[in-house]
Amino acid sequence: MRRRDFLRTAAALTTTAAATQIAGLPVRASSPLLSLPPQVMESDNVLVIIQLFGGNDALNTVIPAEDDEYYRIRPTLAIPKSRAWRWLSTDLYLHPSLAGNGLFGGGFGGLMDQGRLAIVQDVGYDNPNLSHFRSTDIWLSGINSSDPFVRLNEGWIGRYFARVLPDFPTVLPSHPLCVQIGGTLSLLFQSAKGDVGIALSDPQKFFELGRGSTPDEEPLPETDAFAREFNYVRSVAAQADQYAQAVLDAYNRGRTTVDYGSRGLPAQLGMIARLISGGLRTKVYLCYLGGFDTHVQQQDADEITNGVHPSLLAQLANGVALFMQDALQQGFAQRVVGITISEFGRRPYENGSRGTDHGAAGVQFVFGDGNSIRSSRFGTAPNLHELDSNGDLIYQHDYRRLYADILLNWFDATPEDTAAILGDRIAPLNVIKRRTVTSTPPLEPTDSSLMIVPNPVGTTGELHVHLKRLAPVSIDVYNLRGQFVGEVFHGILPEGYSRLPLPPLRVGSYLLQLQSGDCMLHTRFVVGQ
Amino acid sequence: MNRRAFLALARTGPARTAVPTASIAPYQQPLTRDDALHLLRRTTFGPTLELVEQLVGKSAEEAVALLLGNSASEPPVPSPGQWVNQAQEDPRGVDIVTRGQIEATWQSNFRNLQQWWIDLMRTEKFPAREKLTLFWSGHFTTEFTYDLGYIPPQVLYRQNLMLRRMRLSNFRSFLEEVTLDCAMLEYLGGTLNVAGKPNENYAREMMELYSTGIGWYTEGDVKEAARVLTGWKASLYSDAPAPNGLFNTWFKPSDHDIGAKQFLGLSIPARDQDTNTEYLVRTGEVRRMIEILFGQRAEAIARFMVGKLYRYFVYSNPEASDAEVLAALMDIFVANDFELRPLLTTLLSSEHFFDPANRGVQIKSPADYVVGLARQMGVSLPGAADALARMEQDLIDPPDVSGWREYRTWISTKTLPQRVQYVQQLIASLADTQAQEFVRSFDRWQSVDSFVAELTRFLLPRPVGTNRLSYYTSVLLAGAPNYEWPAIVNNAQAVGTRLRALLRTIVKAPDYHLC
Repeated sequence: MRRRDFLRTAAALTTTAAATQIAGLPVRASSPLLSLPPQVMESDNVLVIIQLFGGNDALNTVIPAEDDEYYRIRPTLAIPKSRAWRWLSTDLYLHPSLAGNGLFGGGFGGLMDQGRLAIVQDVGYDNPNLSHFRSTDIWLSGINSSDPFVRLNEGWIGRYFARVLPDFPTVLPSHPLCVQIGGTLSLLFQSAKGDVGIALSDPQKFFELGRGSTPDEEPLPETDAFAREFNYVRSVAAQADQYAQAVLDAYNRGRTTVDYGSRGLPAQLGMIARLISGGLRTKVYLCYLGGFDTHVQQQDADEITNGVHPSLLAQLANGVALFMQDALQQGFAQRVVGITISEFGRRPYENGSRGTDHGAAGVQFVFGDGNSIRSSRFGTAPNLHELDSNGDLIYQHDYRRLYADILLNWFDATPEDTAAILGDRIAPLNVIKRRTVTSTPPLEPTDSSLMIVPNPVGTTGELHVHLKRLAPVSIDVYNLRGQFVGEVFHGILPEGYSRLPLPPLRVGSYLLQLQSGDCMLHTRFVVGQ
Repeated sequence: MNRRAFLALARTGPARTAVPTASIAPYQQPLTRDDALHLLRRTTFGPTLELVEQLVGKSAEEAVALLLGNSASEPPVPSPGQWVNQAQEDPRGVDIVTRGQIEATWQSNFRNLQQWWIDLMRTEKFPAREKLTLFWSGHFTTEFTYDLGYIPPQVLYRQNLMLRRMRLSNFRSFLEEVTLDCAMLEYLGGTLNVAGKPNENYAREMMELYSTGIGWYTEGDVKEAARVLTGWKASLYSDAPAPNGLFNTWFKPSDHDIGAKQFLGLSIPARDQDTNTEYLVRTGEVRRMIEILFGQRAEAIARFMVGKLYRYFVYSNPEASDAEVLAALMDIFVANDFELRPLLTTLLSSEHFFDPANRGVQIKSPADYVVGLARQMGVSLPGAADALARMEQDLIDPPDVSGWREYRTWISTKTLPQRVQYVQQLIASLADTQAQEFVRSFDRWQSVDSFVAELTRFLLPRPVGTNRLSYYTSVLLAGAPNYEWPAIVNNAQAVGTRLRALLRTIVKAPDYHLC
């Protein structure tokens, strides 16, 4: 049993007795069971999301330097193999502006060397949408609706907190759940129950302006549109007031140990570091780097490290490297993981303006302490020989896989919550490791083994599972992009061998996932003719 | 009882319908004062007592005709200054010192342009042109600061005049004007769009953001539309060619792709060098392509544009029950060959528009909120362009090509305190004598209760309950007994202090952010 399941049960058991014993005293209307905060509110894990707006050119970020096709389709933009930064002896190459100067020299090369960066290749979704705005909404909402009339009104982070905090926004947490540096509040932090985040660019100003902004008027019963809009405005004003002091206190207490400068993404990350260091109990930070819509002259003709795109890559790499160094020096590195998102990659073929047009699959980065992430490259180098009907890259990873990592592993959401928030059952990529300590994990990975017989599977196949002791398990089949395909078994399995039939599957490659409490095992298999 | 608890009792005014039920049929009654206030809140940057008086008693149709005006025969707006006719060199081709000077000039002229527009919003009476012009500026987005530097403010000024001139025109002709607009050509890569190296940027947005919305064309249609649009140039700089004069569009035949194009299933034939001229390409390809777009995608365009105009003028989040009204408006738009005037006239003079459920449900943009107070109180707007930018509404410089997200996104923990603080500064600038005059401009100002009731009716979109009225009265009197009110008003300093205190309270109220 997980610690929080235990607490919930304990709370439920004691409620009745406690309530009767204090008869005559005011008893809270809401049940203690419901007011027990979810795991995420107890842990001090922090997520940083860096949004690269405009559509980052993945092929000039992580370079497919061993594929001649790359040099053929990018005659003026390709990064020569000799200039690209190579990870060990692998086929992973980075743009020199992104790589920096290697170990501790800043940049993503240094972070790879230190085991604090992961790279996820070819991330995307079905029927890629080449509109910046729709695709950004798809990424931020976590919903890929093929119907253009479906309005995407909630972010996946917004839906998550609205779901796990039943009293929100009647009861506001004492610190803001989410903070966005600058800008109009992102869709990411919107939910049907109101915004779960605040936007700020200067804590001192935020304090001076926000203090006392709670309106004198009370909320209205939500009987019509007028009351809904009235209450919306009122709750934003109340949040600005309530969080003004908490943010300023954290900012004043906090410090930074590196020089982030005063501009761009590094400065935004410096602000986040200072707020974390000062004890702000915010769960999710969002920062923003725009300018990736490189249709025209994305890189100088004579020097590949000059120009719009290389400068953006350098800014990203420099900002993240500084942040990770600061986090290490201040001792909060283990509490923070970060991911990058961008609405799409760009078309493999360069256009005639020494730029690239909107494309499909893109690359994602994950940064964090070596105890929090598995530092590696996930997926293979992009396949430039098999493009979609539009000439774009075909994705290898569903764009919600890292979201599943975050929800399940970093925020300790249940599989049910995760599936409800992402609209589908999505297998985590397990780039992010679990950090939460739980009391009695029902299984350790060594407790069991998984084997598919035969592999490749013909018309029928079986799963052989070996458990060292009886345990509740959920066993499901996913495709290699991480999308749910079918169930194998949900229930309690005995100690020793069990043989379970696989569901009927089409020809292809699959991922089998066994989950039991906090333990998760994967094996791949192939279904042949 | 503290003031919070006191106000908690106040709650809502009288009960009213939860969802709009009225149809698109014309609103028949002569406009009441509240009707006139509602109409002015939505079609201008805020009602003034003078304009309200002019509309009360008129039919909705008469009032709307007065508000919309006739763009074909109206006086020109005053020029922002000499700079609109003076060109600079292309800053990308000069040394860094000169470049800095040119761009500093543009920055300063651009702020001047924004302030000029804000002053038009603040001072206009009838016709009320600016709210609709702002709609089009947010729709056919162009950013002053874009990827490659700055769009010269001279062409942004001309684009703004074009939007104002075309605001009630035929939407098809409007799109053609926008397609070949100088600022737009520069903004969305049109000037780089040449035969053999098409740039798809404008072609895509022409459909996705400006006419049909996404989902009504293939990537192939985008590519073909880009080919149609090859060869157009903009004369933006003193050292650039200007065959049609400075700050105008021109056509370079050698950059135009003369091959045949297939767009939305129809073909645009190839041409030879003799017919590769500005006039023939504009009519035979650009106009033809837009005609094909409107012919093949009439319903999508009507749905997209009617929906967007409805959200701007009626409610940002239409409910399922509004579908019938939207469908009727789409029919009107298509039946009138995409003329905007009959569409807007029908919408703004309909029973649906005046339905009580549609009042006070719209969140004010920063311009609505800030300019509105200045109009209502008769104060000026120093530094308003910068203030609006801090509230995330940098006029003619939206965050990206999709424009502002508007409505609820105007209100965040960052922008909401900004707007309240700026407007409270405006209130501080209200002179004692101005305050005195303002109070006396209300008919029944001599009774403090009547004055507060009339004032809240003027400033807030729905009637407020009696407890809120008493609270506001107590703020205004600041301890003085009711009967002293006329004497207070006769003392400019006393009434100034008290009125400013009440206004500072009201502009913080959630419903002051609604219209």
